[in-house]
Amino acid sequence: MKRKLRVLASIMALTLSVTSLAACGSSKGDSSPSPSGSASASGSAAPSGEKDTITALLPPVSPTYQDNFAQMEKEFNALYPNLTLKIEPASWEDMSQKLDTQVNAGSPPDIAFIGSGGIAKYVDQGMLMDITDSVTPDMVSDFDPLPLEYMKNGNSLYGLPAYMEVHAIGGNKQFLEQAGIDWKKVQQEGWTYEQFREAIKKGVVTENGKKRYGFVFATAGVASRDYLTILVKNAGMPDPFTSDLKYAYTSKNYLEVLKAVRQMIDDGSMPKELSSVDAGKRWNMFLTGQTMITGKGLAVFENSAKKNNAKIDANDGSAVKDSIKVDYVVLPVPSFLGQPPVSSTVVDGYVTFRGKKEPTAEHKANVVKAAYFLASGKVAATTNNDLFAAHITKSAKEAAKSMTIDRNPDNIAAVDVMLSHAAKPRPDIPTDKAAQAIKLEDEVIIPKLQALLANEIKPEAMYEAVKAAAIKAFGEDGVVKD
Amino acid sequence: MALYKNTGNPARRISRNAAIGVLLLIFALATLFPIYFMVISSFGDPVEAGAMNYTLWPGKFTLDSYKFFFNYSKYSFRWLLNSLVVAGSVMVFNVVFASMAGFAFSKLRFRGRNVLFAVLLCAMMIPYQVTQVPLYILVVNTFDMENTYGALILPGIVTVYNIFLAKQFMSSIPSEILESAKIDGCNQFQIYTKLILPLSKTVLAVMAILTFMESWNTFFWPLLVTNSMEMQTIQVGLKNFRFANTTYFGPMMAGATIAALPMFILFFSLQRYFLEGVTVGAVKG
Amino acid sequence: MNQLPITVKKRKNRGDGAWGYAFIAVALVVYALFTAYPVASAFIISFQKYKPLGSTFIGWENYAETFQDSLFWKSLRNTVVYTVLTVPVGLLISFSIAILILPLKKFLQTTFKAIYYLPAVASGVTLSVVWLWIYDPLPAGILNQVVHFFGGSNQNWLGASATAMFSLVLMSWLSSHGTAIIIYLAALLGIDDSYYEAADLDGATFLQKIWHIVIPCLKPTTLFLFVTGIIGSFQVFQNAFLMTGGGPDNATTMVGLLIFNNAFKYFEFGEAAAQSLILAVIIAGISLIQFKFLGKDVEY
Repeated sequence: MKRKLRVLASIMALTLSVTSLAACGSSKGDSSPSPSGSASASGSAAPSGEKDTITALLPPVSPTYQDNFAQMEKEFNALYPNLTLKIEPASWEDMSQKLDTQVNAGSPPDIAFIGSGGIAKYVDQGMLMDITDSVTPDMVSDFDPLPLEYMKNGNSLYGLPAYMEVHAIGGNKQFLEQAGIDWKKVQQEGWTYEQFREAIKKGVVTENGKKRYGFVFATAGVASRDYLTILVKNAGMPDPFTSDLKYAYTSKNYLEVLKAVRQMIDDGSMPKELSSVDAGKRWNMFLTGQTMITGKGLAVFENSAKKNNAKIDANDGSAVKDSIKVDYVVLPVPSFLGQPPVSSTVVDGYVTFRGKKEPTAEHKANVVKAAYFLASGKVAATTNNDLFAAHITKSAKEAAKSMTIDRNPDNIAAVDVMLSHAAKPRPDIPTDKAAQAIKLEDEVIIPKLQALLANEIKPEAMYEAVKAAAIKAFGEDGVVKD
Repeated sequence: MALYKNTGNPARRISRNAAIGVLLLIFALATLFPIYFMVISSFGDPVEAGAMNYTLWPGKFTLDSYKFFFNYSKYSFRWLLNSLVVAGSVMVFNVVFASMAGFAFSKLRFRGRNVLFAVLLCAMMIPYQVTQVPLYILVVNTFDMENTYGALILPGIVTVYNIFLAKQFMSSIPSEILESAKIDGCNQFQIYTKLILPLSKTVLAVMAILTFMESWNTFFWPLLVTNSMEMQTIQVGLKNFRFANTTYFGPMMAGATIAALPMFILFFSLQRYFLEGVTVGAVKG
Repeated sequence: MNQLPITVKKRKNRGDGAWGYAFIAVALVVYALFTAYPVASAFIISFQKYKPLGSTFIGWENYAETFQDSLFWKSLRNTVVYTVLTVPVGLLISFSIAILILPLKKFLQTTFKAIYYLPAVASGVTLSVVWLWIYDPLPAGILNQVVHFFGGSNQNWLGASATAMFSLVLMSWLSSHGTAIIIYLAALLGIDDSYYEAADLDGATFLQKIWHIVIPCLKPTTLFLFVTGIIGSFQVFQNAFLMTGGGPDNATTMVGLLIFNNAFKYFEFGEAAAQSLILAVIIAGISLIQFKFLGKDVEY
């Protein structure tokens, strides 16, 4: 079956996400991929079969990821001589629009690297390939069950996960200690919103005419989605839908979170210009000592901070201007109203697509082989180390043993604690409801949140607007009433 | 230029021009600022965008970002070449076909002329976001032209914008001249090559620049129809480069600066034509 | 020698038919294939619930939904506001600059043209990064420093509903004249000196010459720039997409962005097609009015 990878495209780069990626940034891979890493564990028998080409549309998952494409193609072909893996690189920003044009034209690639949150949308279009019957038990048992669950919709499996990351917040160790915050305890036990509010109040300091804020979260433009999502998960609303499929954001708890959003700004703990602080800006503020805590925080930020510290030591003008040395401390998001903490997790992975023609069983099996090759073993080990992300397959853990990585053990422990209460995947949410919720978020929640952050509306007004839109979309009985 | 009186004393003229110069300069500074920032950033370290120093003057000057850019991919030059081929062809085709169509719509009388022109104009009014999927299906699935120069060039060989531009300019050429040529025995094709083209040098130079620039800067379509590195244009390549290293600001600005250079060369080389102006006054009374 | 083209009598040409069609043949074929066909497809799709594996016909539903969508009306209003603020003012700026450049020496002319043209050369994506920095909401931001210097207070440029639209407009005022200036200059250089000479003999002032000679002679150019400017402005999407994402509170959501979101974010391709056809009809209507008013004495 000949297929061409159709690269799509997008004119526009979301500058916002450029900068947000930038902040998730990392850099020239420190964790050098070790050639001695064990090969993919999948390599079972040399398959005899017809020639087949599998196309994969892949973004720069990690800083060194795209450099290894040629190597990956070669190794895959060595493993399965009759199969060719054709990788088409794409930027993160173009990914979705590229893929969407291909999907709309009925000719997507076999595999695309996307977030698990996008699965419902493509299932709704009928363009995903169900691989439930094509994955072997060996493959399934290699994965941690939770991330694998994220790749499901209904009872069907639509791809294999690459990593599960926690969206947390991060602090400046020295400033935290100055403010008398026992960060180690917080890492282990978490904190409530009330404790957090006090802590960030104490974090506000004016030194040499320069103001330092307690907390700065990137909320400019579309990034505002992250902020609210992370907070509401810890207020008893881990998902937009409750377990009986009612829309959750009409709950009173939601209003309380909105009030807290305003409170932290009104306290002076967060800048009043928060609504246009983007990811790049707040990372700059963090490195230059203008904030004690920043969000969202990913494990890999520890690495970015370390690098800048090294540049300050080198004193060659390459460090961020006015930056100070920073020890990055991973911190959990506070919980609201006595609700249990639920970490906001992101599972991204290799999702399998189908074209206009019904795929043959053989082609399906080949696509699964390719997806598994990418999602496990050495490829996964290298990538996740690059990202400071935890390994989610046994084979990757095995392969990673020979790779060295320099991480702060306290931060590793903190991430483990958060992963232990990661949000549960929700394959039971019907695709049309999920799509409606996304539209409601884009057209009502985010715009109103921007207005709330800019102090143009009150939390109550936003809450009412969300409630009205939710009732319109899901009906009086389709929403939570408490 | 006789719009301004040159009869006054030289001192007044100089002070008038100086005043104009200052005014233009102030506006120029505001216009140039973002470009200035782009260029100086390209001479900075290849640092992460999130760690960017937003300063008016870089901490240090280095060509590292440029090296970073050219070392990144063995295709860096190929991308520039592809862009040159595509933008060059699109430019030539547009100048030829749009000037022909512009001539017909402004100076020739034939049935359905105004209706056809109105239909063409309507096409400009449809947002491209919606035509792009059908166009993609046509070019890639129906014509099977994916990853060819044909796919990159053909859809753009004559744009309605350019026909409109040509028509508007040519309509100000007095029909008198054409009439007298006709009486001298020229057919329409000769009128087009001997009279219209020379008289339209200015607008054609403008059209060439604008078309080349537009084609050079196009990102979306080339990204759609190419699927290998060696067929990509510089704009697509730049993004590969830029996001493969998500975080590097300097090299992104270096790439943007490099990508802008050919435009500038073209601009200055065609400049001559529109300084000459059109000599409409050639009409023999 | 001094015959004015305006007085040239329109004469009915005979026998241009075949020539006319020959001259527009290539343009028509390209148009039919790469524009008319996709537009026709979009037209059909606008009556469908589009799915790549088989669409279903749903009649006028996409149109009905659009007309009931308050966000569509809001985005239409935003688009009109943006267009009214950018296009006429932008043309005035371009026209004035072109007039001001005219008396300068060749070298200076070229230099200034090049400078004003520069922002068009650099990619919009790159420039928007810089503009985001200019609009930095904190007191250290460039524009905020300028405002402080003149005694104003700190503004949350792109983050507040009151200033977000203005910020996008300001950006357009300062960075998108290159094309119009070049086209205007080319047209200015095309005006025959004999008009000015005649006016000088009558003792006309500078402003009189602008009013009675330059503006009428540049009418076709102005019409062109005006129509294409408005068409472009109605479809504008990149700056809002890159700089504000349509926010805050949809204050900068324009129709172009809404269509884009429907087509790609929500996969409502049918609705996106319907919305763009509605938009096309609106633009066509406005263009028609412009031709009627501005194009009255322009020869076609």
